[in-house]
Amino acid sequence: MLVLFRSLLYLYPVAFRIEYGEEMLAVLSDVHAEVQRKRLVTRVILYAREASGLFLGALQEQMRMIFPSQGFQRRLTMRSEFRFPKATVALMTIILLAVIMTIEKAKAISESVPHANPSVGPIQPAYITIVPTFLIVFAGVCVCGALLWAVLFAFHRSGVQRLSDLDPSAAPRSRTGLLG
Amino acid sequence: MPPLPMTEPVFLILLSLAGQPRHGYAILRDTEKMSAGRVRLSTGTLYGALRRLLQDRWIERFHEEDNSRGRQAYRLSALGRRNLQQEVSRLKHLTRVANLRVAPKET
Repeated sequence: MLVLFRSLLYLYPVAFRIEYGEEMLAVLSDVHAEVQRKRLVTRVILYAREASGLFLGALQEQMRMIFPSQGFQRRLTMRSEFRFPKATVALMTIILLAVIMTIEKAKAISESVPHANPSVGPIQPAYITIVPTFLIVFAGVCVCGALLWAVLFAFHRSGVQRLSDLDPSAAPRSRTGLLG
Repeated sequence: MPPLPMTEPVFLILLSLAGQPRHGYAILRDTEKMSAGRVRLSTGTLYGALRRLLQDRWIERFHEEDNSRGRQAYRLSALGRRNLQQEVSRLKHLTRVANLRVAPKET
């Protein structure tokens, strides 16, 4: 299990790993030693929580590296004052009404036109189409997730996230190096 | 950044470090003990919070003589202690108000 935890640590940004990697491994090995004395179900739950915590922590740190000024650090505080925008509710209601009207209109058109297209076969029962649809959606989500992760990783490797850390008021370091 | 209110994990971490410096595993155990087993932080969550608290200077590294096995202890900074005291005062006030509102009125 420690191998899995060590692998998950590699998802963290390099700077984070250098600073906290050894400490986290020490804590994880302590947790591992403690969990060994527990029942199987408890062990599975604790391991799953540690693994998901590492995964989500890595994702959050990667996002913070890429978007340092996007407020990811503000998760330290809880924003209890958040309210759902009223404009969104009105917009969603309008969209819902438009969808209902479109469906009704389509039904009326369908009933007014005689069914004369022999190439359209009978509609299959739902249980035949649910499983392939679910598989296709699942595969699509996996591909999108992999692509997103690849893009984030590419951004990270390109050093784009460090641009915002540059201090324009600081003196360029290379000047003294070149002249000296 | 407005320091208050803070999330419960952060509050418990600060509370854990208020008494004495602790390293990561000790913080995990202490937060679980303080919350009577209700809050059990994962290592990833803990170190994400520790990183932010260090960055905001609410806590600082504490150099022990024996820091074997890569253990690093942390302690509350003056800023962190002040913010923690403010949060405790805020919670006290809320609890007082809640007691007044919720407690059965004598007729």
